[in-house]
Amino acid sequence: MSQMLSPDMTIAAEAVTKAKIEVKNLNFYYGQSKALKDITLSLPERSVTAFIGPSGCGKSTLLRVFNRIYELYPKQTAEGQVLLDGQNILDRSQDLNLLRTKIGMVFQKPTPFPMSIYENIAFGVRLYEKISKAEMDGRVEQALKRAALWTEVKDKLNASGLSLSGGQQQRLCIARTVAVKPEVILLDEPASALDPLSTAKIEELIDELQADYTIVIVTHNMQQAARVSKQTAFMYLGELVEFDRTEKIFTSPREKRTQDYITGRFG
Amino acid sequence: MSAVQEALPAVRSSRDATVRRFALTDAIFHATTRAAAILVLVLLGGVAISLFAGSWQALSTFGFSFLTSESWNPVTEKFGALAPIYGTIITSAIAILIAVPLGIGIAIFLTELCPRPLRRPIGMAVELLAGIPSIIYGIWGLFVLAPFLQTTVQPFIISVFHGIPGLNGLFAGPPYGIGLLTSAMILAIMILPFITSITKDVFDTVPSVLKESAYGIGCTTWEVTRRVVIPYTRIGIMGGIMLALGRALGETMAVTFVIGNAHRISTSLFAPATTISATIANEFTEAVGDLYTSSLVALGLILFVITFLILAIARYMLMRIDARTGA
Amino acid sequence: MSTAASLHQSRKRKNGVMMTLCVISAGIGLAWLALILGALLYKGLAGVSLSVFTEMTPPPGDAGGLLNAIYGSIVMTIIGIIVGTPIGVLAGTYMAEYGRFSKLTTVVRFINDILLSAPSIIIGLFVYELMVRPMGHFSAIAGAVALAILVIPVVVRTTEDMLNLVPNALREAGTAIGAPRWVVIRSVAYRAALSGIVTGILLAIARISGETAPLLFTALNNQFWSSNLNAPMASLPVTIFQFALSPYEEWQQLAWTGALIITLTVLALSIFARSLTGRREDK
Repeated sequence: MSQMLSPDMTIAAEAVTKAKIEVKNLNFYYGQSKALKDITLSLPERSVTAFIGPSGCGKSTLLRVFNRIYELYPKQTAEGQVLLDGQNILDRSQDLNLLRTKIGMVFQKPTPFPMSIYENIAFGVRLYEKISKAEMDGRVEQALKRAALWTEVKDKLNASGLSLSGGQQQRLCIARTVAVKPEVILLDEPASALDPLSTAKIEELIDELQADYTIVIVTHNMQQAARVSKQTAFMYLGELVEFDRTEKIFTSPREKRTQDYITGRFG
Repeated sequence: MSAVQEALPAVRSSRDATVRRFALTDAIFHATTRAAAILVLVLLGGVAISLFAGSWQALSTFGFSFLTSESWNPVTEKFGALAPIYGTIITSAIAILIAVPLGIGIAIFLTELCPRPLRRPIGMAVELLAGIPSIIYGIWGLFVLAPFLQTTVQPFIISVFHGIPGLNGLFAGPPYGIGLLTSAMILAIMILPFITSITKDVFDTVPSVLKESAYGIGCTTWEVTRRVVIPYTRIGIMGGIMLALGRALGETMAVTFVIGNAHRISTSLFAPATTISATIANEFTEAVGDLYTSSLVALGLILFVITFLILAIARYMLMRIDARTGA
Repeated sequence: MSTAASLHQSRKRKNGVMMTLCVISAGIGLAWLALILGALLYKGLAGVSLSVFTEMTPPPGDAGGLLNAIYGSIVMTIIGIIVGTPIGVLAGTYMAEYGRFSKLTTVVRFINDILLSAPSIIIGLFVYELMVRPMGHFSAIAGAVALAILVIPVVVRTTEDMLNLVPNALREAGTAIGAPRWVVIRSVAYRAALSGIVTGILLAIARISGETAPLLFTALNNQFWSSNLNAPMASLPVTIFQFALSPYEEWQQLAWTGALIITLTVLALSIFARSLTGRREDK
């Protein structure tokens, strides 16, 4: 049935769900070199969107604009608009820490903080909320359950986060992100450093999380994009080549470049 | 999902207060660290200014002749820095001449010849010895090395060179044990660990593929070292030598014990002499009169300028090596 | 053919000669250092007794101990560390965190490296001009400040180096959770770099505990027990200097024993410091 819809109608159908993030005419520069060229797209709420493309295409750069983490480094600048619930987060008055509590991020390599499992999660919560020990215990448990890690670590919450396996560490990072109750979760190749079993667990988790969160995932693994996402954006050389429902991108892309990439002709 | 959305408005107002607090505390911490960093600059600037101010009286009294006069007479209050400058440069130069070949030799031994299990312990020993306080070297030089030189080595060398024109002046006079050469030897042993460990570090920056390809065409270990490793690391080794030179020039305690503290310029390496730092260390607390004190501070200023230049060159060279390996 | 063979022979011979020289230089270096440590042990141990640690420095020609000198060294070292460490850590933090990409950091790093190897007697003169001359007298606090100034560059250097080793991903993760920069530094970066920073502090203690030159005209010396920071105070290195150059045998013996105490302290601190970073690298 969806096959029969015209491209215009597809977009119209998606417009029914509210857009959580709208990107308008976004350009991004590393010093002088332009890494993102006039990107415009909108990401629907409570749904998984995947960014795919060959390395260096700008997919991670685009993701890093959403929480403005790029501001840690000099000479990286973004131009244009990124609207979160209609508010431009690129605005100078936007408080970065507050933005990052709304938009969480999980990185390519697991990054547990050098502290206990419990503290890894409590750390972020404690920043903005003053809650009792009992409440905090509840939050930690809830977050770990959400990340499907609770049963594995409930008896060693005081062990160092570094003592966990790679896959567990990554789920701890997801738990940590979920614990501060963000609205959007950015995942930057979250499974690329993990074994297939851990990858499957992470993907399962992403599928569950989209009921509550708007999720954006960058991946170089096309099967992963096809498995977990509802929309897929294909990027190439800093441009957004095609953005559509995942099914459409992988079965009947409009652009030849997309077709070439997903069939493995380059990248 | 509704739990997430409902929690937000309640949380939001307290978050705004937190956000403001964070912005403030972060700005304070940022400013504090920046102030500490600037304090490092202020320290060096303060050293320069205070030395200049302290030496002003001596410099304005003696003018340029402070640098060229050999006399150092507290009674007549005539002060000139030539003898200590001479002693400083001669002792440091000889120390470098002794320590550089030894240090590079040890570094080659450690990187190319030493059996693997011994490498770490010996390398570690070298670095630990770099940390031994200089007063230890001084006390050893005074009580062990100097008597030994006085009773055995010096009489022998003096008798050997006695009739040889040119060289007999270099090794003349009674064997005191203490003096220029003894100081230079103590300085050499002190800076040896520095030269060794820096040379070893820069040797380790040579890409192994470079060494392997030289061995591949049949080079001997010496040829690889001489033609590949040393040319590749030349700047770093020079930087290490300059760093060691900076240390030798400013070294105080080890030299003060064995230099003899004599304000005169003697051609003989066995003669007692003095260095800038030894003069300051020996005389500062006993100096009577402002001009005397000011002259000692002026000596300090000269030492500061010399070592600053040497160390700046050394750091510049080592930075170039770092930049290359970092790229 | 024969020329090629003889050339090969001479190259091999040259290699043999040079390599032998390298082994000999290693031998000379190690033997020399062994001689120093041997003499230190031999002469120093001869004077080790309980009274060294329980009695004051004696008047010329008398027996006594080093208690007031050891006490003075400990007091001034502690104050030097307490004053110098926070400044060094903060400056290193600026260089590795807030100011990582700034011009100021490049300049500070260069100047700090020069301070790191600047002659310590110059620092002594500086503090003399800064404190002793205005105050009108020598004092323990001036000695401690001189030591603090020697501590700063060591701590700055190691703090910056160790924070630079903390992966950026960890900083990004802390930032991404909404933590402001200073919380990321305090709770994530410092924690990850802790053992390295502690190593730097220990090395700084090792360095200043043997320093003599900067104390000569700041804290001066004191033959008696004094805990007054505003008065001259004895220290182990200055006492060694004074006693070693004296003609009295008892003093010379105490100087050797003091030298042994300092050396063992410094070596123990350095080995402990290195074992800390060694363990971190193994991880």
